[in-house]
Amino acid sequence: MDFLDKIGIFLITLGLPFFLSGTVGLLRFPDIYTRLHALTKADNVGLGLIILGLAFQADSWLIVARLLLIWLLVLIASSASCHLVASRAMQNKIKPWSSP
Amino acid sequence: MADNNTTRQSPLVRRVLRRFLFLALIWLVLCGSEQASWILGLPAVLIAVLISLMLAPYSEFSFSFSGLCSFIPFFLRQSSLSGFDVMRRALAVQPDINPGLVPYTTFLPQGAPRIFFVNTISLLPGTLSAELHGNEVTVHTIDKDLAIWATIQNLELRIAYLFRIGPPVEVKK
Repeated sequence: MDFLDKIGIFLITLGLPFFLSGTVGLLRFPDIYTRLHALTKADNVGLGLIILGLAFQADSWLIVARLLLIWLLVLIASSASCHLVASRAMQNKIKPWSSP
Repeated sequence: MADNNTTRQSPLVRRVLRRFLFLALIWLVLCGSEQASWILGLPAVLIAVLISLMLAPYSEFSFSFSGLCSFIPFFLRQSSLSGFDVMRRALAVQPDINPGLVPYTTFLPQGAPRIFFVNTISLLPGTLSAELHGNEVTVHTIDKDLAIWATIQNLELRIAYLFRIGPPVEVKK
């Protein structure tokens, strides 16, 4: 296993806690808006690190470009759907939770 | 808005061709040069071109290259910070949140810049765009004690630079 592979594994391992904390946030946060915060932000960074880790292990530049493109597309999809879910919740007059 | 477009719009053929090539390139990168993949890819690209023409007939805005170069590091840094921020709040013994809504009025024009703005807000630390009505954005923040307004304004100015939009005074008519 060469040096680049090790960097790759390190980055992928680094990305996993973000996915975990996104899910923890989803379970622990009180309302739809705060849960969206947890999901979009944590997963975006988690996926970014995993993509970066995989890019270090890729055999060709085409694979690297493909990985980056996947990250970008997921980023667009997740921020757009996050906004749509939140705006639908606002339309339905779901009040954001606020600390007592 | 409409008056501006007529002077800058390029012919339909050119627009279709440009979008087709752009989307075909995306398919090529995603699926490789496998010829059989185009059985699905070609219709998908054509449908995407059609939908893009229906949703945004004109591409009215141009990108500034230096704007893009300064935006990418800013975005990567901010979105990593937002990941750490949410992680810390989610894993705290008592979830560390103090959410609230913040109204914001943007000077960014309708279309690509405003959509880009609203989507990027959701990836910055502590903010999430909850609603968009005209130029009024309702931002949901996970912590009312954060400097939300400054964060959003910084983002707004960077996006203006990215899309070559002048400062707010010049945009007002």
